[in-house]
Parts: sequence; structure tokens; C-alpha cells
Amino acid sequence: MATYLEFIQQNEERDGVRFSWNVWPSSRLEATRMVVPLACLLTPLKERPDLPPVQYEPVLCSRTTCKAILNPLCQVDYRAKLWACNFCFQRNQFPPAYTGISEVNQPAELMPQFSTIEYVIQRGAQSPLIFLYVVDTCLEEDDLQALKESLQMSLSLLPPDALVGLITFGRMVQVHELSCEGISKSYVFRGTKDLTAKQIQDMLGLTKPAMPMQQARPGQPQEQPFVSGRFLQPIHKIDMNLTDLLGELQRDPWPVTQGKRPLRSTGVALSIAVGLLEGTFPNTGARIMLFTGGPPTQGPGMVVGDELKVPIRSWHDIEKDNARFMKKATKHYEMLANRTATNGHCIDIYACALDQTGLLEMKCCANLTGGHMVMGDSFNTSLFKQTFQRIFSKDFNGDFRMAFGATLEVKTSRELKVAGAIGPCVSLNVKGPCVSENELGVGGTSQWKICGLDPTSTLGIYFEVVNQHNAPVPQGGRGAIQFVTQYQHSSTQRRIRVTTIARNWADAQSQLRHIEAAFDQEAAAVLMARLGVFRAESEEGPDVLRWLDRQLIRLCQKFGQYNKEDPTSFRLSDSFSLYPQFMFHLRRSPFLQVFNNSPDESSYYRHHFARQDLTQSLIMIQPILYSYSFQGPPEPVLLDSSSILADRILLMDTFFQIVIYLGETIAQWRKAGYQDMPEYENFKHLLQAPLDDAQEILQARFPMPRYINTEHGGSQARFLLSKVNPSQTHNNLYAWGQETGAPILTDDVSLQVFMDHLKKLAVSSAC
Amino acid sequence: MAELYVKPGNKERGWNDPPQFSYGLQTLAGGPKRTQLTKRVAAPQDGSPRVPTSQTSPGPPPVGPPPVGPPPPSNKASRPPPAGSCPASSVEPTNYPVIESETLLEDVLKPLEEALEDCRGHTKKQVCDDISRRLALLREQWAGGKLSVPVKKRMALLVQELSSHQWDAADDIHRSLMVDHVTEVSQWMVGVKRLIAEKRNLSSEEESNEEKSTATAEENQTVPGVQEAP
Repeated sequence: MATYLEFIQQNEERDGVRFSWNVWPSSRLEATRMVVPLACLLTPLKERPDLPPVQYEPVLCSRTTCKAILNPLCQVDYRAKLWACNFCFQRNQFPPAYTGISEVNQPAELMPQFSTIEYVIQRGAQSPLIFLYVVDTCLEEDDLQALKESLQMSLSLLPPDALVGLITFGRMVQVHELSCEGISKSYVFRGTKDLTAKQIQDMLGLTKPAMPMQQARPGQPQEQPFVSGRFLQPIHKIDMNLTDLLGELQRDPWPVTQGKRPLRSTGVALSIAVGLLEGTFPNTGARIMLFTGGPPTQGPGMVVGDELKVPIRSWHDIEKDNARFMKKATKHYEMLANRTATNGHCIDIYACALDQTGLLEMKCCANLTGGHMVMGDSFNTSLFKQTFQRIFSKDFNGDFRMAFGATLEVKTSRELKVAGAIGPCVSLNVKGPCVSENELGVGGTSQWKICGLDPTSTLGIYFEVVNQHNAPVPQGGRGAIQFVTQYQHSSTQRRIRVTTIARNWADAQSQLRHIEAAFDQEAAAVLMARLGVFRAESEEGPDVLRWLDRQLIRLCQKFGQYNKEDPTSFRLSDSFSLYPQFMFHLRRSPFLQVFNNSPDESSYYRHHFARQDLTQSLIMIQPILYSYSFQGPPEPVLLDSSSILADRILLMDTFFQIVIYLGETIAQWRKAGYQDMPEYENFKHLLQAPLDDAQEILQARFPMPRYINTEHGGSQARFLLSKVNPSQTHNNLYAWGQETGAPILTDDVSLQVFMDHLKKLAVSSAC
Repeated sequence: MAELYVKPGNKERGWNDPPQFSYGLQTLAGGPKRTQLTKRVAAPQDGSPRVPTSQTSPGPPPVGPPPVGPPPPSNKASRPPPAGSCPASSVEPTNYPVIESETLLEDVLKPLEEALEDCRGHTKKQVCDDISRRLALLREQWAGGKLSVPVKKRMALLVQELSSHQWDAADDIHRSLMVDHVTEVSQWMVGVKRLIAEKRNLSSEEESNEEKSTATAEENQTVPGVQEAP
């Protein structure tokens, strides 16, 4: 078993992939009976410090419908200088540069350890990265000041040759000209009228590139060949003026009477930002960064009116079809998001306010373009400030951890087809021989566009086995998949990352054990959860839960060992043992339950769930709980109410929150001040240990989580109590007859009851 | 070199705001990563939790202090290490060594102004004036006692790096000041940043000029030789 775990881990580290199944059922029929689809989590740009890119271009298969890239799985005839494509079996001549190859002189891409390889493309003009700030000025003084400082600070973190631009908005929208000298000018737009891209470009004077060039006096060097130069300038030229411009930003001057919300033209401001980049820098890496402190209240994309007495839509309103602006606003932002994705740009949303800001309507802007979504209470918090700083963090090579304009192409061997992808991407609608007719997630294509991504961005890719039952794959045969990611590196180079993997086929009837042992339950849980969350965006919550339950029961029926109609005999093997509890916690998670969350919060949680890697996603599904006590080193404990003991400190990581909880006795000791007495120094260390570990998590996490330091009886202990399995509740406390653990006041079903039902249903012949 | 500290988040404005890490800590990547806290315990297959037993006697429900005995004293129980492998880092702001001598305004400003003078003639007048304006602002704020000790100390370091042509190091200090002390420095720091950039350009120009001039000098030397040999 350990060997499979090692194999899975090794593959994740080397290729950035985790498959639900690592031995594949050899026919379509058998594959559907496995319940969990053949799928993988792919982290296309996983950080590989040990993988320097090669400085040449990949060799492609000459068949026009294939074009797979030469890889270690290809058969090579070194004497004839030929290679056979492992996907379409085409025989290809090596290009002239490869004449010197032999068994002992192989190019990197043929070596087995280079199943993942990265090529640097030398062709094509390199253009600088672009950052367009879109800043809401309807903020409180304190917030605006903090935001201005963060923006000024960011100018020091950006690459010096990056182009920056500034749009501010409140009731009006201002597009600022950035110049090194003279007075700063801006173009003002009304926030109520939507403009087409053409109109925006006309009004900004972007459509007549010839004119200003001719007017320029001879002898004066044309430093900026682009007409957009007035709005987008290299940082190193205008950093001083932009710092002043940001410093002088004032709150929106229009008066806001009592009982009203400020008029905020977010929809038009974003539309102008998208139009500006569309006209000037299509298909070049660019980030539109929207900073907003409240909901859009006028013009296209408005989410709520300006009357404060009418609250912003809740889940209740949405269910009752009582959210007046939702559909229209969503449509507006979807139109913008799709245009942005077509242009190859991405949109980040930094929303900081105590109330909702319309993330539900705007979410597509970040979700379809691979932009970030950050939700905080105020711009004057460390949560926002540090999250924002981390956007500009660098990797071990000193390169920014951001990439742009990626195209992910998936190629499969003949027995497989690709059914879809779930992640921060849009379909490129490329049909081909390896595209399945059945869709899972965003399907009907073999290529997707990911406009903004970083080394942790992760997609779920779903496959279908199409091999017919009566045409079995030969014994010992392998299926192969190639992932080709073309992208703009933060150094502005074009690069291509190629990962080629293969797995064994097995006959599900005679070799079910092999397939079963190669099940990756963690990957499967995340992949099923992504499907569930994807469905939840369009279907009713209860339907999704029912679907998940049905899948779980079927999986237990297929892989459990039991005697019919005898629930007590039910057992799952090690490779499946955690899967039911993942599903139990997923059902309770904010990704599928909207109770107690606003529509904005649900959108925020789902946004992050659909892009994080396996480890982080799993933390979101089933939080991690560690215990610190005098009984030994810190240890992971069950996420269960029985783990809440008086003499323990608990550290819980839910991804969005880090909770430190002092048990009753510990809290009393602390109150008594033992930590300050030299003879109880070890108690001081005990208190410190979880703080240090929490810090370690906080330093690595993006976005910054909330940090909750609480104790037994504290009101914030609810964050822990709402996540643990309620094995002891007010209903069964006395039945347990013991006083350990902490009873949870809930009517929620516990894992024990859930498992009992699951077993009953699994062993029943009725379903 | 950079400041390493953690300060509490803004609890007034943000609900459960996380602590804030200094630039030095944020960029302190690499290093030995501790074991990640990502382990889980599998629930038994019947779903019922193992019944753990509390080691300290719970006793009667606590009413008033002292509820239970004291924690085990240090000599009896060994200190529990944090789950990770590397030693715990301090949570308190690092204490600055007692300042032997106050950083002097002139010690910082004079080299900056000299650097600016070097740039004049090579850099656009407008840019130089802009930088000069910001240096004046720095002088004013420093003299007015508006700058904190850490900012002054780091500025002194920055100037040292600048004087010894360590452009990247100087730039990094500028960045750490922007991240850690943006409120204090944002107005004038951009001038210093620009000055570093201009000075760096100037010196690389000078270097290439020097190379050129040595090249021409060599040429000149060879030319007579050529002429001598008919």
C-alpha cells in the first residue's frame, strides 16, 4: 500500500497530477460502474525548482489532427531517425537539429524523468505585463487612506517595466492620463450609461493611432509607440506622478444623503477598463484589479438600489425570486468576463466591506478569467494588505508567481476521451477526435483558456473511457494523456509546459483488486466535490446533496465487503476508508450549504474551492485538527466533538480560518497566570506551540485567513463547534454516559448516524 | 538584515484580523520548511469516535478558581515542541539594539543629494526636480521628528548600499520600507526609489562608456603600430 501512496505523491510532485484512479478500467461499461469518474487534478504550472526550462521548441507529431509533442513514451528508431507518436502511431522524421541523437545521446524530452518538461519559445515580440487599477472612491476616509497606501506600496513591488493605468469611480468614472510632466488630466464618463468597446475607444481617442504620431514634432523621440501611452505607462517612468496622483485621491465628492447608499458605478468602470485593454493590448498578459468597498448601485451591473432601507439580496430573496437586479447584473458582468477572457486578460476583485458587495453577480469576472477574488471587512486590515502583497510574491528564481494567457490542451490515447474541465478557465471550443460527447464540467472541447494563473492554480479534468467492452485493451497495455500548457511567463517569455503520463489498463472483472488498490480517495473526493459545487451553481442545493449521496452509496455497494442485508458486516478497504467521511464533511461545508452564508460568501468560498490544489481543497472539505497537550508532541486528532478536551489546546485549519482553542483547564491555568511563573515554563511553551504552528500556516496561505484565538466557553468557539462531527449532542449526551468531549447543540446528523444509514443502504438489495 | 516581526492585525476594523508579518518574514522563503500540518485521523468505520480519556482528573464542574490543580511544573514534563521541525520564531517585534547613536539626518540626506547631483545633466531636469522635491520632504519630516527610529535606521542602511553601488540591496531596503512603513514613507520614498534607478542607469552607462574609451584607447595604441609597419 505504501508503494501506491509513494507513487501518487511522486507523480504529484513531478507532474502536478493526481488521478482518481491510477489503474484504469479497460472498457466504457466497467468504467461507469466505478462510480467515481476517471479524472485528475492538474496543477499546470506546479513549481519545479529542479526543472530548468529548455531553450528550444518542442517537436510535434506531423499528423495535423494530432500534433502531440515528442515525449518519453514515444518509440524511437535511432538509426532511421524516426519516432512513432504514442497517441496516433504516426511515424515522424526527426528535425535536422536531432541528427546527432542516439541511445546514449538523447534529448531531454525523451528521458523518462522528463515526463514534465518546459520549453522557452524564442519567437514573437515580448510585451510588458499590464496592471490596470480600478479604484472605488466611495469609501470611508480611513479605508480610502489605507487603500491608497497599499496601491502606492504596490508600485514598489511591480516589475519596473510593467505598464500601469488608473481608473477611479464613484458616481462618475474617471480614466486618468498618466504623464511625467504637467498637470494630470482625466477623462470623465457618466456611470449610468453603458458604452460599447468602440464608443469607449473613440472617446478615449484610441482609435486613431496615426494622428498623434504624425503630429509629434520631428526630432522628439517617440518613446511610447502606443496610443494607449496616455493611460498605460511604464512604472519606472511615472512612479512619482502616480504616487502623487494616488495620494491626492479624494472620496467621491457627490453628497450622499441620509438613508442612501453612495452611487457607485462599478459596472461602467469595469466596462471601460475592459474596453481600454481590449483596444490596446489584446492577447497580452494584463490584470484588471478592481478595488471596491460596496455594491454597485447605479448603471449597468447595479446590484442594489441606493435606498438603504432596501437591503441587498439574500439567499431567501433569491429563492423567492425576489432579487430584482440579480439577473440583469449577472448578465452584464458575464458579458464583460467573456470579453476579457477572449482578450486574454484577467480581472481581480478585491472587495472590502462589512456588507455584501455583489460578488455573487461579479464572480464570473474572476472565475472565467483566472483572476483573484479577495473578500475582507476593510482595506485597513492586515487581511487585505497582506493578501494584496502576496499577489506580487516571487518564486525561488525571483520571478513573479503569476502567469498569463494560458491555453491548456489535452490529448488522449484512443481508448479515452476528455469530457470536461472545472477550474478558472473558459472553453476554447476546439472539437477533435479526443473530445467526448458527454460533458462533465465545461466540456465539448479539448482546449481551455486560463487567462490568469499561478503555480497553485489547479483544474479538475474529467475523462471518459470509450473502449468497447468486447474490444478489450491488450494485457499490459497503457493509456496515455498529454497536457500541453502554453503561457506567458511573468518574465514575459512565451513558454510551453508539457506533461505526458501513462497508466495501466486492467480488466475490471478479473483484476478489480488492482483497480481498487490504485484508488486515490483524496483526489476522488476533491474531484467529486468539484462536480458537486459545479452543479450547485446551477441546481438546487438538495438535488446536489441527493446526487452526492447516491454516488457514495453506489461506490460503497461496488467496493464494500459485506453480506447482503447485514449492515454490521460492512467494511471498506484502506484505499476507500476515508472517502465516506470526506463526503460527510463536504455535505456540511459552505460549498454546498448556503445556510448561514450570504450569497457573496458562498460565491467567495466556491471561487477558491474551484482553483486550489488537492491539499488545500481537502482542508476546505475536511478541516485539519491538531491537539497540543502535556501528553506528548502535537498530534492530529479526529475532527470530532470528542476531541475537545479540557487539558488540550486545539489548532484547527479550515483554509479560510485558523482557530486556536484552549480547553477549559488550559484556559483556567492561563487565567491564573501560570505561564508567567518560571517553574511552569513548560506551560508557557505549550501555549506558544500552536501559535507558532499557526503562524507557519498564515505565512504560506493565500488569501490570508481569518485568525481566531478563543477558549472554552468563548463566543468564537462556535467556529470549532460548527466544524467538528457532532458525535455528542444535547440529544445523546446522557446516553454516552461519560463526560469527555464537548456536546454540540445541534440537530445535525453525526458521522456515526451517517455511516449507519450508509451501511444500511449499501448492503440493501433494494437499491 | 530586514526587520523580522509580527504585529497584531487591525481588530477594530477587521473581524478576527490575522497578524501582520513584516516584509523580511514574508520574503524569507526557502529555508527548511517544517512538516506541514496536514495529517488526518481516520474515523473508525462505524463512525464512532474513539473515546479518549482526559489525563487530568476533571473533578467536579468548575465553580470559581482554582478549579483544578496547576499544570505540571517544568521539571516534570518535558516541553512539547511545536509540530514542525524548526525552532519556534519569536512573535514579539524584534527589539532593536539600543541605539548607540541617533542616525543623523545629514548622514542620510547628504549622500542622497550628492547622488542626485551626479544624475543632473544625465537625467531629465523635471525628474531631478521631482526627486529633489521629495528629498526636501524627507528632510522636513525627519527634522520635524515625524520619522520613527526603524525608518531612520533602515534609511541609513539604504544609503550605505547606494554609496557602495549595491543597487539590488538598496532597492530591496526601499521595498521593505514601503511594505512595513508605508504610512510614514510613501510620499517621499518614491523619490529615493527613482534615485536608485537613475543612479544605477548612470553607473551602467559610465561602465559602458569606460569600456568604450578603453577600447578606443587600445585602438589608438595599435594604430601607430600599424602606421609604423608599412
